[in-house]
This record gives sequence, C-alpha cells and structure tokens, in this order.
Amino acid sequence: MLIQVLNGVVYGGLLYLLAVGLVLIFGLREIVNFAHGALFMLGSYIGFSIAAIFDFWLGLAGAIVAMTLVGLCLDAGVLRPLRKHDHMVTVLVTFGILLVLETFATAVWGKAFRSMQPPELLSGTVELFGEPFPVYRLFVIAVSLCVAGGLTVWLRHSRIGLYVRASSVDPTTTGILGVDTDRLSLLVVGLGTGLAGMSGVIAAPLMALSPTMGNFILIESFIVVVVGGLGSFSGAFIAALLIGQIHNMGAVYLPWASTLLPFLLMVCVLIWRPTGIAGGKG
Amino acid sequence: MSGNPTSLTAPAGGRDSGPLSRNWRLLTAAAVAVAAGIAAPHVISSVLWISLLTQAVVDMIFATSVGLLVRQNGRISFGQAAFFGLGGYIFAVSIAREIATPELAIILAVVLPTLIAFLLGLIIARIPGVAHAMLTLAVGQAFYEVVFKWRELANGDDGMSVALPRTLFGFDSGMLQTPGSMLPIVWTILVMILVGFTLMARSPFGQLTEAIRENDERAQFIGYTTTLPRAVIYGASAFVAAVAGLLQTLYNGYISPDMFHWSLSGMALIMAIVGGPKIIWGPALGAFILFFFKDVAGDATEYWPALVGIMLIVVTLLLPEGFAGLAERTDVPLRRLRKGRAS
Repeated sequence: MLIQVLNGVVYGGLLYLLAVGLVLIFGLREIVNFAHGALFMLGSYIGFSIAAIFDFWLGLAGAIVAMTLVGLCLDAGVLRPLRKHDHMVTVLVTFGILLVLETFATAVWGKAFRSMQPPELLSGTVELFGEPFPVYRLFVIAVSLCVAGGLTVWLRHSRIGLYVRASSVDPTTTGILGVDTDRLSLLVVGLGTGLAGMSGVIAAPLMALSPTMGNFILIESFIVVVVGGLGSFSGAFIAALLIGQIHNMGAVYLPWASTLLPFLLMVCVLIWRPTGIAGGKG
Repeated sequence: MSGNPTSLTAPAGGRDSGPLSRNWRLLTAAAVAVAAGIAAPHVISSVLWISLLTQAVVDMIFATSVGLLVRQNGRISFGQAAFFGLGGYIFAVSIAREIATPELAIILAVVLPTLIAFLLGLIIARIPGVAHAMLTLAVGQAFYEVVFKWRELANGDDGMSVALPRTLFGFDSGMLQTPGSMLPIVWTILVMILVGFTLMARSPFGQLTEAIRENDERAQFIGYTTTLPRAVIYGASAFVAAVAGLLQTLYNGYISPDMFHWSLSGMALIMAIVGGPKIIWGPALGAFILFFFKDVAGDATEYWPALVGIMLIVVTLLLPEGFAGLAERTDVPLRRLRKGRAS
C-alpha cells in the first residue's frame, strides 16, 4: 500500500514537472502550449541518443540544455511576435508545432518503441517498508521535490521571481511598472521547456519512448493545470500529487476505470469551483 | 468538383436587399448546389473520384460543426470527435445488440449526442478561452478511453464492422454504401446544414450568440442569460458532428475508437481554421482543401502531418480569415465593379 503511494508520487512528480512549465508559460504569455508534450518527447529522445553514446547524466544535461534552447527560440520566434494576436491563434500555432515535432521525431528516431536504462548508480532496489523499491523511482521523487522547492524559493524570494508572479497576475500592469516582460518571458519559457526536457529524460527509463509518448501525459498535465487553477504554482503542485495518486491507485485497484478517474475528478472540481482548487484567472 | 460551395453565400447585401430577398437568394443558391450534387455522379466517370468526394463531404460536415462553435461561441474545441464517434457508435451498437430498430437507432444516434453536448455545454461553456480548449480535449479523450477499454461494448481497440439492415426508412440500404448514390445524399445534407446555419446566424438567436461571443458580460448586463444560448450552440454543433459520424459509419460500415481520438478533433479544428470559421461555408472549404492536400501529400511523403502543421501555422499567421476569407476578399471588388457598371 505505502509502496503504491510512493509510485503515485513518482508519477505525480513527473506530472508536476510538466504542469509547472505550462503554468510558467501561461503566466507570462497567457497561452497554453500544446507543444509541451512534444517537447517532453523530444527531450526524452535527445537524452536517449546522448546516453547511448556517453552516459545517462550527460544525456540528462544535454536534453535540458537543448530543450532550454528550443524554448528560447519558441519564445523569441513564435510567442513574442504573436503576443498582439488573439491568444487562441497562438494556441493553434503551438498545435501546429506539435504536429511538426512529432513528424520530426518519427523521421529521426522511427516509430518503433525504444527503451532506456536507468544509470548504474541508481539501478537496483532498496528495502522500503519491507518491500523492494527501485532506487531510480526515489531519485525521480527527489528531483521533482527539489524542483518544486527550488522554484518556490525562487518565486517567493528573488526579485525575478517577484516579477514572474506579478506578471502572472497581470502582465500589462507589470510591463507598465517597468518590468521588461519580453526578457522575463524568454527566461521563463526557456525554464518551462527545459523542465519539460528534463522530465522527458527522467521519465524515459520508466516508460517506452515513441513519437506520441507526450500526448497522454500532456492531457493529464492539462487536467492538473485545470484542476489546480490556471496560473497557480501551488495549485499545480497539489493537483499533480492528487492526480498522481488517483492515476496509480486506479491502475492498481480499478484497472478498468483508471484512465477515467482523473477526468472525473476534473469534472467534479470544475462543478465545485470553475476556476480550480487554487482559483486564479480564467 | 461537384457544386461549388462558394455559391452558397448570399451576397453580403447592398442597401436595397431586404431579408426576404436575401433568404430567397440563399435558397436559390442551395437548390442549384443540390442539383449540382445530384448531377455530379453522372458527370464524373471515375468511381475512385466519386468515392473520395463522398468521404471529403463527410469531413466537410464534421468541420462545419467545429466551425459553428468557433463562429457562434468564439470557443475552440479539441474534443469534437467525441460527438462524431458517439454518432457512429450509438447507431452501430444499438443495431448490433438489437436495442432499437435501425430507424430508431439513426434517430438516437443524432439526438443523444446533441443532448449530451447540451448538458456538457452547461458546465463547459462557463469556462473561457484557453482553459476551455484544454477542457474539451480532456472531455473528448475521456470518451475515447471508455470505448478503447470497454471491449464488451464494441471490441475495444479492434473496432467493429456494422451490418446494415436491408432497408432503412423503406429505402434500399445498399444505396448508402455505393459512392454514386451516397454522394448526392451527403452533399444534400451538407447543403441543408449550411442553409440552416446561415438562417440561424441571421435570426435573433444567432445575433444574440454573436453578442455573447463578443462580450459575455455586456450581454448579461442587457439582461440575457448567456450560458443557455452557448449550451444550445454546443448541442447544435454536436448534432452536426454526430450526423457526420453516423454518415461515415453508414458509408464505411465500420466503427473504431479512432473516431473518438483527439487527433481527429484536432484535424477537424485545423480544417475549420484553414477554411475560415468566420464564414459559414469556410470550414467546409477547409475540409475540402485539406482532404485532398492530405491525399496528395500522403502519397508523396509519410511525413505529411508536418506539412499539415506548417499549413496550419502559415494560414493562422498570414490568412487570419482562412481561405474562405481570401475568396470573399477577392470577390468583393469584383462585385463592386459589376455593380458600378450596371448603374
């Protein structure tokens, strides 16, 4: 039972890494990045390719750097030029990018499923509550908790963090008050996509790699963002852990309904509070 | 092509044309379009072409349903395939299990999705913008998960073939699976839907929904409830999506969970956007263009989804009103020229 709870935290942690990227980008640009799942997938493949030549850690670092660069290009090349357009236009454009990236991955790595081994340092199991538990899964939990902690400290106690929070409440006023929201956005989108790339590599040893691997987790992280309250960082954290538990408990105890439970939770939360657990803007 | 969809737009109207003559012109155009559709199978000799056109027209009906949501509600849906799939599944499952007579099954297949969408609309319609897009995606995918997992319903992932009864409403059901006779049927249905939507857009209800789309809060201040009209539009758009799903099932005699998949919703949305949802026949035009674009690009390269993505990006950036907007823009100066000569 406790082991199952931990497994739920592992999945919740991965969801958090994706969802928080979506929330960061939403805060600055007021759009939902439909290509986020594709960036997760791309990060996975880049990590996989580098790890095949060197080792896991270089793969992880390489994927984070590569996806951060992709994010900088995404912001400078797509989101910034489109900021005056209707937000739905930008959402549609990110949907187009999703199609392009999936095709790109199919062209480079093929359609076949690939698998990736965890690093040797983290292979094997430890005894937890009298049952063996993979060390690698503990590592995933640790990473997502570190990211959550680091982000919280950064957002609460640094000047840039203050700007980011201000901007996610009202980007226009923040801009009027003298914050360069375009530069801020570059940083934040880069951070968000970097996190997507990181979660891609971290998730790779736990799931099979395929060009469409990002779709399912994208939909679940959408549910996280909606349930948590669009634009809320703490809401995303709580919702990610909640959905992680529901996803995992469902898979163990209610296999026939497991994929439906997150959707049901979402519908219930929205009837109860249309703006999500932590409120926020629509 | 059989029947030109552009013939369906009544001219935007000079000062002298009252609503009555506008509606007459619309009906005349529709009659011409239907006649062209009936004539098409006799003119086009290639069965392959007639068959492709039939499939394209089903896509055009589906895209029109997505376009209605964008046009009247200003909302983008990534989950419209749910109602497309429901239309097909409700029909197929009811006749396979003999829950209803085939005729009743056809009626249920369009009425139930409409009701479900109306009820869902009451919840979803309150949520604006980007959150709405995410929600429709999640709701649509929930339907997919159910039919995918529930093997006893219709073989889950494998899909199910549908044996049509010999006659439907007294007609030989073989007509529905012969391209030469199905093309006029689907085409006439498409024309009827476009005429219906045009009349609705001109009606006070259509104008109310547009007012709500432009400014929900202000419409409430004037004293309208805004959620109900939005939910009605959801119902109407799901009705059309279900009709498309039902027609596809009748024509192909096969259902599978892919009918519910979000990539299909996404494709329908791309069709609507590429065509231009501001104009009622725009999404249908977009579906027509993309159907044949996919056909040609799919033959040329297996990487065609990237081409569709690039097309979407280019159109949203360079042609915000889609191809239909482009067609109207080039049409207006021409019409002005003609008018100038006449006077």
